[in-house]
Amino acid sequence: MFKKNVVRFIIIGLTVILAGYALYWTIAYHSFSSEKLEALRTKGELEKYESRIIRLGLDLRGGMHIVMEVDLPKLVETLASNKTPQFMTILNEATTEAVTNEEDFFVVYRRKIADSDLRLVRHFNGFGFKNEEIIDNLEAEAKDAVNRAMEVIRNRVDQFGVSEPSIQKSGKYRIIVELAGIQDINRARELIQSTALLEFILLKDAAVTQQFITAADNYLKTGKQDDLAPEPRDEADTTVALKESKDKAMSVSELLGVTSTESGLESEEADTGLVVDEEIYKERPFSSLLRNIDNQVGVPERNVYAVKKILENPGVKKLIPFDSKFLWSAKAERRTMQDGRTENFYILYHVNNEPGLLGKYVTKASASLGGSGTESSGRPIVNMSMNSEGARIFAKLTGANIGKQLAVVLDDKVWTAPFIRVKIPDGSAYIEGMQDMNEAKDISIVLRAGALPAPVKTIEERTVGPSLGRDSINTGVRLGLIALLVVMIFMAVYYRLSGLLADLALVLNIIFVLAVLSVLQAALTLPGIAGLILTVGMAVDANVLVFERIREELEKGKTVRAAIDTGYSRAIITIFDANLTTIFSAIILMQFGTGPVKGFAVTLFWGIISSFFTAVFVTRTFFNWATEKWIIKKLSI
Amino acid sequence: MRLIKETHIQFTKYHNLFMTASGIFLALSLISIFLVRGLNYGLDFTGGTLLQVSFEKPITTAAVRQALATNNLENSNIQMTGVANEFIIRTPLHASSDSTVVLMTKALESVPDNSFITQRAESVGPKIGKELRATVFQAIFWAMVVILVYISFRFQFKFALGAVAALVHDVIFTLGIFSLFQLEISLSTIAAFLTIVGYSLNDTIVIFDRVRENMKSKRYNVIEQLFDVSINESLSRTVITSATTLFVVLILAFAHGEVKIFSIALIIGIVIGTYSSLCVASPIVIMYQKKLDARKKK
Repeated sequence: MFKKNVVRFIIIGLTVILAGYALYWTIAYHSFSSEKLEALRTKGELEKYESRIIRLGLDLRGGMHIVMEVDLPKLVETLASNKTPQFMTILNEATTEAVTNEEDFFVVYRRKIADSDLRLVRHFNGFGFKNEEIIDNLEAEAKDAVNRAMEVIRNRVDQFGVSEPSIQKSGKYRIIVELAGIQDINRARELIQSTALLEFILLKDAAVTQQFITAADNYLKTGKQDDLAPEPRDEADTTVALKESKDKAMSVSELLGVTSTESGLESEEADTGLVVDEEIYKERPFSSLLRNIDNQVGVPERNVYAVKKILENPGVKKLIPFDSKFLWSAKAERRTMQDGRTENFYILYHVNNEPGLLGKYVTKASASLGGSGTESSGRPIVNMSMNSEGARIFAKLTGANIGKQLAVVLDDKVWTAPFIRVKIPDGSAYIEGMQDMNEAKDISIVLRAGALPAPVKTIEERTVGPSLGRDSINTGVRLGLIALLVVMIFMAVYYRLSGLLADLALVLNIIFVLAVLSVLQAALTLPGIAGLILTVGMAVDANVLVFERIREELEKGKTVRAAIDTGYSRAIITIFDANLTTIFSAIILMQFGTGPVKGFAVTLFWGIISSFFTAVFVTRTFFNWATEKWIIKKLSI
Repeated sequence: MRLIKETHIQFTKYHNLFMTASGIFLALSLISIFLVRGLNYGLDFTGGTLLQVSFEKPITTAAVRQALATNNLENSNIQMTGVANEFIIRTPLHASSDSTVVLMTKALESVPDNSFITQRAESVGPKIGKELRATVFQAIFWAMVVILVYISFRFQFKFALGAVAALVHDVIFTLGIFSLFQLEISLSTIAAFLTIVGYSLNDTIVIFDRVRENMKSKRYNVIEQLFDVSINESLSRTVITSATTLFVVLILAFAHGEVKIFSIALIIGIVIGTYSSLCVASPIVIMYQKKLDARKKK
């Protein structure tokens, strides 16, 4: 009998030692001074610690969790050429149907295409000949795009310098990016999310742009199209014309409303005249919103919304020359007006639809300050160089268009649009207009890492700043300790010495759970801490069940030994049945839950497992030992 | 120390009272959930964006709103958190292709000489929200199925029936209170609901376990007596465990944010769970057994 107890104590001792070893790294790591940490880092030993300490979840240490999804309809659209109305209609229908029916986009698209007489070979080059074959290849392209996008994002994150980034694929078309402990959240977000599609696009001649502006003015004023563009509908149909003019009247008043309230935000009287003059507005509804900035089309910041709306007007859209589009400058420029006020301007660029050169030829990109004597002297710029093929195309492009403006466009925003003065044979180019060196660096990172191979949209983001995380740990730990203390005092008062034994089991339970977490490298989240505190409740319950049963048996007149024996053997069945169901709930939560909830389930699960050991095995061993050592007449319970 | 000595409460005598009371509460809960107030689904399920920012210098809500207007987000819900210069801004997802978080951040950057730090940013797309809702229903469904099967296997089907009835009772009741006070239902609340399920079951099983044990001794041939004795025998444990866990959860309720709502769900759940183990699970088993007996006699 005594021997059996020795074995039990050895098991307990070993478990405690193992748990202590597992937690040693965490305790050591947090007790190191920053110099010691730095010393370990230089020796390359820090990683040994970092891979063994209790990992904190993003909600506790601060960090960013982003789920991105490849925009399949957009991908199909970008891959397609010759986008006829029929092609676009089917694509749009498939898009909405996939969302409402929660079906896979390609399944819906396949069905839609099969129902139509559209021949996809007219729209996709090099994707095969039969419709089925082309869709298969598009689907393969999408899957491949996800993997390449992951690679690109990984490159960017690596160059940005984040410790332990996690970039995972989820499902078929999703990527989950987790960055822990980042300081500048907004910067990191832009770095990950930017498509980084770089294009060099020629600007349209100023004359063509002017023609469009005049035509747009006329259209908005009269509601009629110039003969510049094809007539959209039969003029004789008066009902349509009436409707049209009504629409127009509404949109103009809407525009006015927007400009006046927006300017009203600052100072009421002084502003309206400056941004848009009522009289001029009536005469030239579009161009009155624009300003001349160094012979380019400038738009005061608060007119941007109105101008965007006009450009989206279906009637105005038709007036835009078919081979061109409008792009905005990436940054606003600050200019002082004649009356001394300063005003922010965005530049509206009228560019070709087809880019002259794509950024994929860029091999190197680096941030630096513009050299003295150049236009961008002292300002941050990004220098780029291209491979030989890119350099050849670039030379041809610049050679043939001397005197024209070439816009450098990143993700549909124009960073700079210098005049081509001479032919550039060596494939070197630069971007300017960055606010500071950090921004220039980030842009060079995304250029080096390359563009995302497909349009990607963010569908979920959960970000916690570093200070909020720290607060959460502090509150969590403090509340946890208070809860633990209260429960321990209660147990000691209510069950006396036995209660103290249960308290020992409780503390061991928490140590074990933390040790398991650090071995599994499972993240401790805020709900995880809540789970840990709850297991305190569960562990106490196990001891309450045992102790109540022992009391009962004692009341029946059993001896102390016999009462302990029956008490435990009976209570174990109850504890097992009762806790197993909670374990089931925890396992289900682990399967279905995401992030924080999973953290809760993991601690709950291990907490219950370990409470079987501490509340039953450990306390029993101590009871056995005590009853064998001394003949106990009256149990302190 | 001993709080509860030997008790002889005849719970079964009040079964009709309990069942009626529970029935009324359930009906009220269901009315509140489906007809009157509905449920206040959080961002996780509806989709939307939440931004928690703290400004360096004092700023009014109106100024924050004005800044948001630069990206047409002036209809956002802006709340002060209680911490100085800190705001929680909620807005539905923006239709534009840019991420709403980026739009909000950009808009707030337009506040003149007052910088801010993003404390928390959450954005859930409508698709994700839908998926989460589906996942949650699956989770709760499977939890119920597993529990039903396990108890049928360890005890008898009628006990499983009583236990699951008590669970459904607890969840509907808690949802009813959430609906009445319009507490937000988020992912953590769902985790809390599943914990309630676990707890309530725990209590129920402890009592059933006693019933099973007393059944073997064959001392009690009247089913009501069997249950009364068993409930009374485990009453001391039920009260003490519920009280200690309730205490723990009460302390957790002093936390902020998610954990607070989580604890509130648990507080409600523990109280209702304890009640249902004592007063709902057993009557159902007894009623079912009596029906079986009656059928046999025929």
